[in-house]
Amino acid sequence: MAAPDEDTDLVRSAIGGDDDAFAELVRRHKGTVLRSAARFARNPAELEDLGQETFLRVYRDLRSFRGDAPFGHWLSRITVHVCYDALRKRRREEKDVSLEVLASPVADPSTGNGPSAQLARMILDQAMSRLKPEDRLVITLYELEDRSVREVAELTGWSEGTVKVRAFRARQTLKRLIGGDDER
Amino acid sequence: MNDERHDRGDVELDRLFALARQAPPDISGVERNFETRVMARVRESREPWYAWAWRLAPIFLVLTILLGGWSVLYPPAQPADPVAMLASGAQEVALLDYLTGE
Repeated sequence: MAAPDEDTDLVRSAIGGDDDAFAELVRRHKGTVLRSAARFARNPAELEDLGQETFLRVYRDLRSFRGDAPFGHWLSRITVHVCYDALRKRRREEKDVSLEVLASPVADPSTGNGPSAQLARMILDQAMSRLKPEDRLVITLYELEDRSVREVAELTGWSEGTVKVRAFRARQTLKRLIGGDDER
Repeated sequence: MNDERHDRGDVELDRLFALARQAPPDISGVERNFETRVMARVRESREPWYAWAWRLAPIFLVLTILLGGWSVLYPPAQPADPVAMLASGAQEVALLDYLTGE
């Protein structure tokens, strides 16, 4: 875990033109950023792009980091915004997603244990790709990253009420999709 | 009946979320030397626009050499007979006289 004070010192050095300081910041925080972005990426290449875009944006905006909150919080907000932008862009590119993987394994009585963790992720990924970008962002942060409504609101810049509404709407859609009665 | 179905949907969904939380995404491949690649992009983003001109210089050099070679190997065709050259020049003068009414 990176020490906040050290992060602030590294940010100051990076603003002053010290590339090694910025590389150290990347080294310290790459795990957190990539783990978070991986919830939205469809493959390693996309994850690489999201990660790089996040740190490039951080580099460009370093001067706007005021240091009144830990660097990690500021970085998380940028990560969320980069992922949200990617979701919106993707939404325009892909319209139809196969639903073959949905429904059947969720309540598979033959296995006794239900789906494995990997399969659960796959099912959710498929179902969540049908959500609106803002709903997907909220449900990912709230349910998969286990963040509170307040944290999600801070990260996204939306009000807590909006976050609750979007989380509720996302759950309803997911239940309908996973339950197999897609109305489209 | 409907409520029961909704409850079951919530339970199934919560189970999926709980399972998915247990399977953190594998980032090991991307994480390796990630900072090196980021720093390369950072340096690239800092380059001024004219850095690209210098990068293109070798291409223009090769293009110049190729065009020079081409003009040496294949010079433009010229009439070999000087009388024919003069005749064609005289025709042009006559045509010009006719058109200008001289």
